[in-house]
Amino acid sequence: MAQPARVLDVRDEGHLRFLKSSGSVIFDEGPAIGTFPGKVRVRFTYNGEPTVTAQFTITGAHGSISARATGKLSSPTTPNPSFRGSMKVTGGSGRYAHVHGSGELFGVFSRRNYGLTVQAIGKLPY
Amino acid sequence: MKVLPRLRIFVATLALCACLPASADAAMYATMRAAFNPERLGAPTTLSLSFRIAGGGAPTLLTGVELRYPSDLGFATSGLGLASCSPAALQARGPAACPANSRMGAGSALVEIPIGPEVVKETAQVALFAGPSQSGYLQILVCVTGLSPVAARLVLSTELLPGRLNIPVPPIPSLPEAPYVSVMQMHLTLGGRLTYYERVRGKDIAYHPPGVGLPRSCPRGGFRFAASFNFFDGGRTNARTTVACPRR
Repeated sequence: MAQPARVLDVRDEGHLRFLKSSGSVIFDEGPAIGTFPGKVRVRFTYNGEPTVTAQFTITGAHGSISARATGKLSSPTTPNPSFRGSMKVTGGSGRYAHVHGSGELFGVFSRRNYGLTVQAIGKLPY
Repeated sequence: MKVLPRLRIFVATLALCACLPASADAAMYATMRAAFNPERLGAPTTLSLSFRIAGGGAPTLLTGVELRYPSDLGFATSGLGLASCSPAALQARGPAACPANSRMGAGSALVEIPIGPEVVKETAQVALFAGPSQSGYLQILVCVTGLSPVAARLVLSTELLPGRLNIPVPPIPSLPEAPYVSVMQMHLTLGGRLTYYERVRGKDIAYHPPGVGLPRSCPRGGFRFAASFNFFDGGRTNARTTVACPRR
């Protein structure tokens, strides 16, 4: 008999610092704190379109969760434009190998030092 | 179009006189060049672009330029344009009206003014600024200032689209009863040694923004740039150039 899926209630925040870039793609990394603590690594793309994308992986003690998010950037000519959008889980590992679902992503992008502050919120069955 | 005070009287006269553009020559052609400095993949760089329009006959009135560039160049992530400049203030008071953190680059333009049988050349200064974003896209203001023989200031506004930049060029009045000014050459540098300021513990600290980010890999055949030039008579000419892949 199949067990009912458990649900991971993710409400995490990460203060990420710049690792490297490639043209319009920024790679950031940093700690995640919240209901699923661990380390976050983000591939953030901002090519001038108002819509930005973020592919990220949160790695915790018992596995990792990867997701892709798109969001609308507001006030692009300010030093720290913010964005908000939706995220969709694209995969997982370890205990979260079968994780799926979607949620929301909020963030602030520092155009000065390429750092990111992101908040991911979602209820993810696994 | 803002004409500096000493020529205001001429501008008033312009409203009364018929200023027709010079006739376009079908043989007009354009060339362009692009360069990165430094040429290092994965690193920020300064982008230089030069255009030259030439052909026989009288100068032709340029009405717009569409520039196409590799869409994976990091313009939006360049750290340039952290403040925005008001187009109205830029028009009225020139580059001094803009915050330091809005400056994105500089350059020069060569314009030609047909006066009777002669063609007078004038070099104008160009400054690039970030403008207020209205649609979520970065806005670039191109401020062209000429002093002699025609003292005039022109502010062009364009949106930085991924891989594309459309710059409409309105008619630029010159002297009374003379045709409009024709833009024949332009050199632009995006980035460069600009000085920005950030507030740290109550003090303004100067720094140099990094500039346009080059991708870590080079497209096959190099970085391709192209431009289309539109003229008043409906004519159009194209130019293209490639920046070769930097050596690793």
